[in-house]
Amino acid sequence: MAKKTIKVPKVVDGVPMGEIEVEVEDTGGPSWGANDKHRLLNHPMRRVDGAAKATGVAVYTQDVRLPGMLFGRFLTSSQAHAKITKLDLGPAQKLEGVKAVLAVVNVGGEVRFEGQPIAAIAATTPEIAQDATRAIVVEFDELPHVVKGEEALKPGAPQVGGPNRRVQKQGNAEQTTAAFEKCDAVVDVEYRTPILHHSCLETHSITADFRGGDSATVYASTQGTFTIPGDSAKELGLQQSKVTSIVQNMGGGFGSKFGIGIAGQWACRLAKALNAPVKMALTRRDEFLAAGNGPGSIQKLKAGANKDGTLVAVHAVQHALPGIGNSNIAGIPYQYKAQNFYRESSALNTHEDSSVALRAPGHPQASFAMESLMDELAYKLGLDPVEFRKKNVTDPAWHRQLDRGAKEIGWARRNATPGGGTGPLKRGMGCGIGAWGGGGNNQCKVDVTIAQDGSVTVAVGTQDLGTGTRTYVRAIVAEELGLESDDVAERIGNSTLGNANASGGSTTTASLAPSVKDAAYNARVEMAKRVAPLLGAEADGVLFDKRQVMGNGKALAWKQACAALPAGGLTAHGKWQPTLAASGVHGASFAEVEVDVETGHVRVVRMCHVQDCGLPLNRTALHSQINGGMIQSMGMALYEGRVMDRDLGVMVNAGFGDYKLPGTLEMPELIPIIDDGDTRQAVIGMAEGANVPGVGAIANAVYNACGVRVRELPITPDKILNGLMQLQQRG
Amino acid sequence: MSDQSSKWTRRNFLKGVGVAAVSTEAVLARAAQAADPAPPGADAVNTVLEGSVKLTLHVNDQDRQVTVEPRTTLISALRDRLEPAITGPKLVCNEATCGACTVLLNGTPVYGCSVLAIDAVGKKVTTVEGLGTPDKMNAVQAAFVEKDAMMCGFCTPGFVTTISALLAENPHPTEAQVREACKGNFCRCGTYPHVFAAAQAASKA
Repeated sequence: MAKKTIKVPKVVDGVPMGEIEVEVEDTGGPSWGANDKHRLLNHPMRRVDGAAKATGVAVYTQDVRLPGMLFGRFLTSSQAHAKITKLDLGPAQKLEGVKAVLAVVNVGGEVRFEGQPIAAIAATTPEIAQDATRAIVVEFDELPHVVKGEEALKPGAPQVGGPNRRVQKQGNAEQTTAAFEKCDAVVDVEYRTPILHHSCLETHSITADFRGGDSATVYASTQGTFTIPGDSAKELGLQQSKVTSIVQNMGGGFGSKFGIGIAGQWACRLAKALNAPVKMALTRRDEFLAAGNGPGSIQKLKAGANKDGTLVAVHAVQHALPGIGNSNIAGIPYQYKAQNFYRESSALNTHEDSSVALRAPGHPQASFAMESLMDELAYKLGLDPVEFRKKNVTDPAWHRQLDRGAKEIGWARRNATPGGGTGPLKRGMGCGIGAWGGGGNNQCKVDVTIAQDGSVTVAVGTQDLGTGTRTYVRAIVAEELGLESDDVAERIGNSTLGNANASGGSTTTASLAPSVKDAAYNARVEMAKRVAPLLGAEADGVLFDKRQVMGNGKALAWKQACAALPAGGLTAHGKWQPTLAASGVHGASFAEVEVDVETGHVRVVRMCHVQDCGLPLNRTALHSQINGGMIQSMGMALYEGRVMDRDLGVMVNAGFGDYKLPGTLEMPELIPIIDDGDTRQAVIGMAEGANVPGVGAIANAVYNACGVRVRELPITPDKILNGLMQLQQRG
Repeated sequence: MSDQSSKWTRRNFLKGVGVAAVSTEAVLARAAQAADPAPPGADAVNTVLEGSVKLTLHVNDQDRQVTVEPRTTLISALRDRLEPAITGPKLVCNEATCGACTVLLNGTPVYGCSVLAIDAVGKKVTTVEGLGTPDKMNAVQAAFVEKDAMMCGFCTPGFVTTISALLAENPHPTEAQVREACKGNFCRCGTYPHVFAAAQAASKA
């Protein structure tokens, strides 16, 4: 068959790293057809695992309990930066019920952040494992630390010893600097965002079932079923092919769960030391301190525009705050086109756990800064913020979405003058736009099996993060074979099934759905060949609809038709078809807020997000995803952020009591909108598009409401009150 | 220099009632009777329980034998000690902030991470599994499926349990009452709007 080369996204641990070229077969093959002509897809669909989740029978990694299983636990560092001078594991090892205590960092070794594991314990109960952490004697020599980005910027700041990333430069500094001279309005400001926490409800958890011998099963709370066996095999000293990973359900990832991580590494090491299964489920505190986070940012931006709304020049110095790790903030001017631009980006290391991918890595930070900057320019020039944005983006999708969002939120009602109006409760509106890749690639191998009794199974090793994977894989097969979703069973979340990619960069659906479609299509073609003689029809004249197989004016019930299959039934394979996927989604968010100028409290009244995604597979699940994106934006804008004690170097809010997540009382009216103006007959991932522009939209709405521009997230009441005081002083 | 070790102990204390306890279960049974509703008897003294404690929990209409420590929480007894385990309620924060471990104690929602197993003796424990099964869901569970009030599903058992208790007490709550009842339940995926819709739908079922 003829081959062709296409570009697909490359994603490493959830972080998009540009595109790579792959060779694919240039086949006619299956096609989705028009988006509005589907029988099951692009309709509201019930989550097929809903009942299992609502009744508590869905089994997650943390729910796995095996005979003889031991409970793992870490002793972690109380110090931000220190040398370990004494580590006595003896008292812990002597405790009844403690089976193993292993040093993670040895005497003489350094700890580089609070919460860094020092020793790993396996015990017969969680309580005894906790006792063991208290029994271990550890002493430190403290070393200088730095846990604030602005401190790390200062000359002579304590060295963190991070990846020592070079400053990356793009654009033309001289031209950009010169261009500011000719601008009608210039804004020169600094935006800051704190380190954020994924806050997956299921902490990083792995149960390593190894009892000696040459094989093991590893239950993992992970975004990548196939990222587990290799890592585990190394730790267990086994062949990769002898390790099976199982991911039946998982309690949230948001970018933080690729590979076995430190929890899995030590679950495996303890299991290997003991020849017994070990479950390592991080405590919530350990999860905050040592399971990765989303980087903070310090972004110094200068932008200039003309009266007609042309964005003339943007100059950006962007620092990511990735703890001891490495990270990127998406480049300014983000989605906008500026006639001149220059940017420098680098990471500022601190003595905090390494950042990892967090839903749209680096994008909400850049979007908040850029959308705020655009807003500041618009107000300075006296332009409508929506029209100013439309002037500086070319893609018609954003024009369509901005118009739609403006209509939904009632943009015309917005505060004419920021801070205007009477009374202490001031309302305002803001907006923002975002984008994401979401393309697929050639990694999934899917089997569709039709049994002689008519039952149908679709099998692929992929994981369902709660995005609805199980639901759409069934529906794709059912639609192709003229069945209902309930007629199809799915087998997923197991590394012995066909390969599937890790869920990073919103690439799962665009990789998997085309592969499932291809397998279902091949199953249908094969089935038609088998059934055609029974009907006296040509194979390509056989139709599948309403649980019937039809041709030549005759119809067989599905089960009758399947009875003609051999005892083993029929299995068709599917692989990724590039024509069934696409890349590039757009979104626009609008927010209406109410600011109490007496207390500084901000309430989001209403939020709307318009999102395209090519062919929407399941409208219900999409609404859930878009809502989730808006809610996470709201958390970032108003509530969330790691707070560090500068002198002690420790986190002061490492728990849900102090790290504020959006809750039921804060929920605004949420309006999720699928942009059906996108007529691409191809599947694209959208999850990461939905949580990008809402942050800036809320910050801009706050300004429109009360006249205070808060440039450092989260927008807490103290910042509003300070801003109001400054406005008053300025008169 | 700083020292991270602390004085540790495996002795755990329970202030119960009763003198010269003949068995742990007897002590606990009397404690449970005495604690609710009557105040401790005049002869109350501190009873020390330590080490392994064998007790009977009444969970989802069944008497279940389980061996715990006095300090073992109810959620840990259900998830980590019972054979076979009850794992519907999840352990998420272990400090009474998130509600994922919510179970009903005599019909009242409590955080399973903040109730000791020994304090649940003699009381009726209901978990999400006791409210319905996939084949026979209660109205709240059915509405959660219908309204897609879940994504990853890890918070779902807590929400279902809380709302089921709310509806038992107040069959037709306003959305504000639903929000208030669930203010101690966190969701990270962002299912709240659909949770509210499910509660409303269940109240009309």
